[in-house]
Amino acid sequence: MTTTPTSPAAPTAERSPRRRPRRHADTERGFSRVFRWVTTSAGVLLLLVLAAVAVFLVERGWGALVASPADLHANGGLPKQYGNLLAFIGPLVFGTVLAAALALLLATPVAVGIALFVSHYAPRRIAGLVGFVIDLLAAIPSVVFGLWGTLTLSPVIAKLWAWIADVLSAILPGTVNATPTGRSLATTSLVLAIMILPIITAVSREVFKQTPRLHEEAALALGATRWEVVRTAVLPFGRSGVISAAMLGLGRALGETMAVLMILSPGLGYSFQIFDAGKHQTIAANIAANFPESAGLEVNTLIATGLALFVITLVVNMAARAIVARRKEFSGAN
Amino acid sequence: MDTPVKFSRISRAGSAVLVGALALTLAACGSDNNTGSDAGTATASASAPAANISGTFAGAGSSAQQKAIQAWTAAFQGQNPNATINYDPSGSGAGRDKFIAGGLAWAGSDAYMSTDEVTKSQTFCGTDGAIDIPVYISPIAIAYNLKGVKDLKISAENIAKIYTGKITTWNDPALAADNPGVTLPSTKITPVHRSDKSGTTHNFTDWMNKLAGDVWTNPGADAWPLQGGDSAQGTSGVAGVLSATDGSVAYLDDSGVTSDLETAKINVGSAWAAPSAEGAAAVVSASPLATGRGANDLAVDIDRKATADGDYPLVLVSYAIACQKYSDKATGDFVKAWLSYIVSADAQNAAAQAAGSAPLTGDLQSKAAAAAAAITAG
Amino acid sequence: MSQRIDVTDLNIYYGDFLAVEGVSMAIQPSSVTAFIGPSGCGKSTFLRTLNRMHEVIPGARVDGKVELEGVDLYGPDIDPVAVRRNVGMVFQRPNPFPTMSIRDNVLAGVKLNNKKIAKSEADELVESSLRGANLWNEVKDRLHKPGSGLSGGQQQRLCIARAIAVKPQVLLMDEPCSALDPISTLAIEDLIQQLKTSYTIVIVTHNMQQAARVSDKTAFFNIAGTGKPGRLIEMDDTATIFSAPQQKATEDYVSGRFG
Repeated sequence: MTTTPTSPAAPTAERSPRRRPRRHADTERGFSRVFRWVTTSAGVLLLLVLAAVAVFLVERGWGALVASPADLHANGGLPKQYGNLLAFIGPLVFGTVLAAALALLLATPVAVGIALFVSHYAPRRIAGLVGFVIDLLAAIPSVVFGLWGTLTLSPVIAKLWAWIADVLSAILPGTVNATPTGRSLATTSLVLAIMILPIITAVSREVFKQTPRLHEEAALALGATRWEVVRTAVLPFGRSGVISAAMLGLGRALGETMAVLMILSPGLGYSFQIFDAGKHQTIAANIAANFPESAGLEVNTLIATGLALFVITLVVNMAARAIVARRKEFSGAN
Repeated sequence: MDTPVKFSRISRAGSAVLVGALALTLAACGSDNNTGSDAGTATASASAPAANISGTFAGAGSSAQQKAIQAWTAAFQGQNPNATINYDPSGSGAGRDKFIAGGLAWAGSDAYMSTDEVTKSQTFCGTDGAIDIPVYISPIAIAYNLKGVKDLKISAENIAKIYTGKITTWNDPALAADNPGVTLPSTKITPVHRSDKSGTTHNFTDWMNKLAGDVWTNPGADAWPLQGGDSAQGTSGVAGVLSATDGSVAYLDDSGVTSDLETAKINVGSAWAAPSAEGAAAVVSASPLATGRGANDLAVDIDRKATADGDYPLVLVSYAIACQKYSDKATGDFVKAWLSYIVSADAQNAAAQAAGSAPLTGDLQSKAAAAAAAITAG
Repeated sequence: MSQRIDVTDLNIYYGDFLAVEGVSMAIQPSSVTAFIGPSGCGKSTFLRTLNRMHEVIPGARVDGKVELEGVDLYGPDIDPVAVRRNVGMVFQRPNPFPTMSIRDNVLAGVKLNNKKIAKSEADELVESSLRGANLWNEVKDRLHKPGSGLSGGQQQRLCIARAIAVKPQVLLMDEPCSALDPISTLAIEDLIQQLKTSYTIVIVTHNMQQAARVSDKTAFFNIAGTGKPGRLIEMDDTATIFSAPQQKATEDYVSGRFG
């Protein structure tokens, strides 16, 4: 019989009647005390770094935020067709979110599938091998993904995109365009998906492995098949973990610069022509592409877009936390 | 003497850390790991003769010049073993900015300074301000990848129509008219432009604007002015996309055209010309200087409509930006010697070898040499 | 509703390790059979072979025969999933599905069996199962609250309700009260008495008083030493085992001299 660390008792049995203030002086001596300070300062340092980044973005972006549209057009690198800074940031935000969302949409099901295969289906040796390969994928630098995407994948997958675009054109009203170079948002998102696959897989795998044996046995004893065990015991238990994993992946996809820069033919606008070139651009890639040749107010404009990316990332993470917290009652945490 | 040396070491280390951090944030830009140091940290001894330059000097700017500067640096440091030159190819705009702010000995730029920038430079350079000296000329090629088709002729008007979407297939009558006897396929044309800001784009769009202004209405600019279309990062990026895509066409630095691509001839007057170093240098040499600027400020307004035999007016000129007069003697001596070397026939030929550029010729070369020699220090 | 189990010469292995050796026994329908014995004697392991739960551990296997109403559970064309639908199980620690409501917990097994049932039918089943587990009155007003919010004893009865909702022939209980307080234990024991009219019940217990209280038959398992296989020493009417066992070891164990 396997025993698990989950507590069978009702939560009330564990809660002490009243919280007493901790008296560290009595109980913490020597290393314990040092360790407390080390961990506390690490936490504080993290907050300071985050604050420093925020301050930097606001301070350096401020010039563009307060500049008049005329000034931005003349010196700030703001394209003439955009009346003000927000109108310029809008398409960039759209492109960033669309690229990351598509990548997440592609990566999450595959990552969850691989994680389940490794944790619940594969024989131990194959599971170890697959896990190793996935971890290896995580170690590949993004510039290599970018090179591969632009030199190898784009020309090849362009034909597939063209075919899909033709089919969609036949089904949907209007025309779906596809660029013969393959340097479209679809290719970019595909490469981003491959890049975020390892992190989502690794976290999901660990969460699935933590599924209490007791819950899996409960399902088995009711006559569940392997898939039903996964559906009734493993997935519900791992749900919040998978969401967290997906958010980690989304964070990387939102901020990924090099691969996007190398693969995507950029353009500004609100377009769902994901197979066409020059329709989308992400904030990070836009900064990287334009920073070297920018000066003065142009730099402020770019940093203001960076501020927008910072805000998006914050919002995405807060939304993810809200989703995880919403069904906390049913999460099994109690 | 001890104390200032120590101090300079510390500040050099500090700026190295700073530049290192910048390089990290700019890893995307492919800048190589230059550790720069301020012009002011030169540790030259005041008694050294002008010919013997020593110290560490920093330049930054145009990435187009990078290969040439590498060749020049090696040769210059060979002659002046005590001199160390660091060049950060962080981009023309960044180079000009940093120079005006007083952080560099000189800057490399694919565009000459605006009059506004010349005025601003007086803070660092004194009342004589800064000057532009052309140091690097490179023809820009129209390259294409079209199965089985060689020796195409594409006029400025047609390339402008291709980039504006008015010509979409290779067998368009307008293209066929310029290429009698060539069988053009019905392949879709995929025009590719630079996705990053670049001097190449500036010169190419300026050329289209001057020669086909009714089709290409935007003035020359570093950033591609139209929305949509395929694009890639850097010359090598554009070349890569061309290689991989049948039916594609793009403008790129002639030295970056790979062997699997074809180069088109462009219309020069009523004739057709392929990119050549001589033709590019001839056009630049014959072009008028921008007016209303200092005597030694050699800002060239390239004559895109040059029609002399052998001319190739689709060309990029890159400048060295320096002060007319340096208050710091060591830096001034260095810049004078350095720029005099760069514009010399030796250095220009070395760059032609290393970077495929067109050596400065004729009148412009002697003017550039004179401008470099006129730099004063102390 | 209840069926008999006949076990013949069953050997149970973990990989190459023989954990339980040579068990043969007959378990009567509509009765409670208790397995007792010291820790590590293989009684839980043996219990888990009765619904083929043993083999979910990698490397675990058996040889011998386990027949449910004459059908060999380990026969070549028997699906272990189908076996587990006929032989329900309740575990040592209450394990309701934490992400499901009380109602969904009860219906979990039914929904697994791919049956689409009408809401009224489901309501009826939830009520009858919870009543069958003596839990209805306590939870009828909060069927949509999570099952993990109940007390330990209530959770265990919820697990019993979940097990009987699929209408099995046999109900296996693996030390169902070991994690519960005395009052909850009493409630479960009362429930076992009610359930035995409808199901064949097999219970593993550490608690000899419990075995004496709830079971009709008792089987005593013992182990000769560490690394040796567990064996069935003796099986008889509960009264006989506790008053006049045949074997010396049984007498020593039930009188509290070891174990």
